[in-house]
Parts: sequence; structure tokens; C-alpha cells
Amino acid sequence: MNEDLHTLSGAYALHALPEQDVLLFEEHMARCEACAVEVRGLSETAARLAMAAAEQPPAALRARVMARITEVRQEPPLLDRRAGDRAPGASRAEGSRAGDSRVEGSHAGDSRAEGDREGRTPGEVVPLRSRSPWRRRAAIGLVAAVSAAAVSLGAVAVDAVRERDRLQQAVTVIAAADARTVKYPVSSGGTCIMVMSPSQGRMVVTARGLPPLPDSRVYEVWLMSADGARPAGLLERAEDGVTTPLLTSPRSDDLRLGLTVEPAGGSDQPTTTPIMVADLPAA
Amino acid sequence: MRTEREPAGEPVPGEGPGLEELLSQVALGHEQAFNRVYDLLAGPVFGLARRVVRDRAQAEEVAQEVLVEVWRTASRYDRTRGSALSWVMTMAHRRSVDRVRSAQASTAREERVSRMSGEVPYDEVSETVTTRLEGERVRRCLGGLTDLQRQAVTLAYYGGYSYPEVAGLLKVPLGTVKTRMRDGLVRLRDCMGVER
Repeated sequence: MNEDLHTLSGAYALHALPEQDVLLFEEHMARCEACAVEVRGLSETAARLAMAAAEQPPAALRARVMARITEVRQEPPLLDRRAGDRAPGASRAEGSRAGDSRVEGSHAGDSRAEGDREGRTPGEVVPLRSRSPWRRRAAIGLVAAVSAAAVSLGAVAVDAVRERDRLQQAVTVIAAADARTVKYPVSSGGTCIMVMSPSQGRMVVTARGLPPLPDSRVYEVWLMSADGARPAGLLERAEDGVTTPLLTSPRSDDLRLGLTVEPAGGSDQPTTTPIMVADLPAA
Repeated sequence: MRTEREPAGEPVPGEGPGLEELLSQVALGHEQAFNRVYDLLAGPVFGLARRVVRDRAQAEEVAQEVLVEVWRTASRYDRTRGSALSWVMTMAHRRSVDRVRSAQASTAREERVSRMSGEVPYDEVSETVTTRLEGERVRRCLGGLTDLQRQAVTLAYYGGYSYPEVAGLLKVPLGTVKTRMRDGLVRLRDCMGVER
């Protein structure tokens, strides 16, 4: 019986199973790790067959697709259970989305990755203005900051989902195998922490100990290339003087990351002297 | 021997900023990243849909649906479960197959089946597959299968037929078709050096 079901892996990977067999096989696969692994390899193989069939699509297709995506809302990522526990308000905010109650293994590696980081050396980039180079492992503290921010999410239902998604993306960057951490002092007080993952093409920026600002002012982050600075986002204070992690994607020509104080809402160009300028970790 | 640039045909997994990275940016709403994903995937998605549903207009519809779906669900892609390419192509193939199977009742389908008898899409594959490395390799690897393995795999994948249909087309027992699909794919996998 099982042997018989097992031979369906090829037909399954080719989508050649009739409906009722699909269900049977998927049931079987849920209990058979070897089958799931085999199917994965066979599906990868089938995808190569698709590559061989590649054909230039009509030019109009791009225009239609690009127009369409501006009207389509993107799905939030699926949450794993731990993240759900940390931010119960956040998961509830999604209401009864069927997809969210199902626990996917998408971030099952997070805890392992946190452990991995303990053995890794921090980024060796030398801060521009630091008096004492950063030699501690900031990532662990940052993960803690992310969790703290997640806990603090709780009640703000409207923003919670977006916030939660962002945190999850941030954790992905921090947990990436090639993540490098750099910490810089901020001249007005506090510390800015950056974690860059070349493989993810993204960077997480957060800070702690920044002096509180009046409501009319915000901390704004900048990515700076030879052509000038462009806004990378605002650093918002969360609990305990730690800011909510900001996710940004530096371009290859971005050289530095800067921090300024700007009028509420942020600016398009820096209007004050940077309180920190950091070399970006080399990709 | 095409000289013009044809980005749509050449996504090479593992080169450049991988699809996986691009998808994580797409998940954050980066339209520019999606543009590059389009460059990499529109060709294979459209080509596959064309091969399976045949009709050009319908293939375009399928390709559009799939590519928009990539945008919509990019955050759901999980790299621990396989490559981004496989994720997208699985979607593209399933959609294409759904399209032809929902038209199954129509006589067009019947005609298609009888027209296909004895004729194996493998030859068409060889025709369309250009000198691209990936295509070359696929063709070479397909050539390394037994006739029955190759027919079973290509009729199912490029033809969109279910395995009972393939059994009917090839006039072989169901069990044989199932096995040939599996061992054919396994042999392809090993030939192509697909990571497991």
C-alpha cells in the first residue's frame, strides 16, 4: 500500500495525479519524510523542464502585469507559533484568515539561527568616529530588541500586522548566515546598530539609548551614495529606549548610512547635521 | 544563435542576485525587484503555459495570473522548502494544467488527445529549446531516458495529461506509467545535478 503510494511521487511532481489521488498522496507525504524529500527534488527537476520551454512573451504582457500589481494587495507572511505567542494582538488583528492559523515551518530556523550567531564574529568594520571599536556581539541584543518591540506591539491593531511582518523580515536578515553586525555611537547619545545580510540584500537598523525627541522631531535614517543621500526611513522609539527595527535595502553604490534629526514626518533631504555617519559593511 | 539579448529565457539559478533574494524584496513591495523577477521568469512561465495550454491568448492569461500571484504571495515563499524557481514553476504548471483540465469536457480536448497519439512533444521541445545551456542540458538528459520514461514525463509535463491519460495514450498499464514517471524524473534529476 505504502510502496504503491510512494511510486506516485513522480506523477505528483508532474501534476499528473487525478484529484482524489492528490489528496491520498499528500496525506501519505505528511507522514513520510522520505517522500516529501523526494518530491522536492523531483519538483526542482520538473522546474528545469519549464526552463527548457522558455519563450519570449509578448511585450504587452509586462505592461499588463506591472499595471495589475499596483492594484493587488500583497499577502502578509505566514507567522510561526513563537511569533504569534509574542504578539497575540498582532495575530488577532488578522481576524480569521485561514492562512495565518496554519503553522508553516517558514521560520522554524529562527531559534537555531540565534544560537548560531553566538559563535560568529561581529562585523569587522571600524566605526568612523568611535573611540572604542565595537567588539561585542550585537546581534543577540538586537534579537532581544526585536522581541521586545514585538511584545510592545500588542494593542495597536491597525499597524500591528504591518509591524509584525516587518519584524519577521527583520529577523530573517538578522538570522541570515552571512549577517554582519556593526555598532556605532551616536553623537547626541546612544548607539546605532546595523545588521547587514548581503544574501538578503537588506539591512536592519535600530538604535538604543537615543535621547527622546519632542513630538515635532524624528530620527531619520539615510542611505548615502556618491550622488547624495536618500531617505531610508524613520527610527521610531519602542519600549526601553530601543527603536523599532528599520528594514532597508542598500544599493550597491550606497557607501554610508547616516542619522539626522528631522521635523516630524521626515524630510526628503537631510536638514540638520548628521548625529552619526557609518560606513556600510562591505557586501 | 540569437544575438539579441533575451533576458526572459535565461534565469540561471544561483547566479546574480538570486530569485530568492529578489522575492524577499518583492515581499516588501519593491516593484523594481519585481521587474527583475519578471525578467527572469516571464519567459519560462509563458513558454510553459504555451506548451501546456497551446492557445497563445490563454497562455498569456495564465502567465499574467501566475506572475501577479508571485507578487501577491511572495511573502509566502519559503526557501527551506525548495528553490524560488521551483516554487514559481510549480504554480505556473498547476495553473496551466488546471486550465486544460477545466476544458476537458470540450471536444477540443478529445481532438487534442487523438492528435497527440503517437506524437511525442519531445521533438517540439528540441525545436524550441535554443542553444541555451539549460535547454541543452535538459535535452541531453531527456535523451538519456528510455522512450517510455521520456514519453511519460513529457506528456505529463509539457502535455498536461494526467497519468491515466498518459497510460491511455501510450497504451500501457497504469502502474507502468506511474513507475516510469517516477524513475524517469529520478534519472533526470541525477542527470541535471539537481540538489536534493
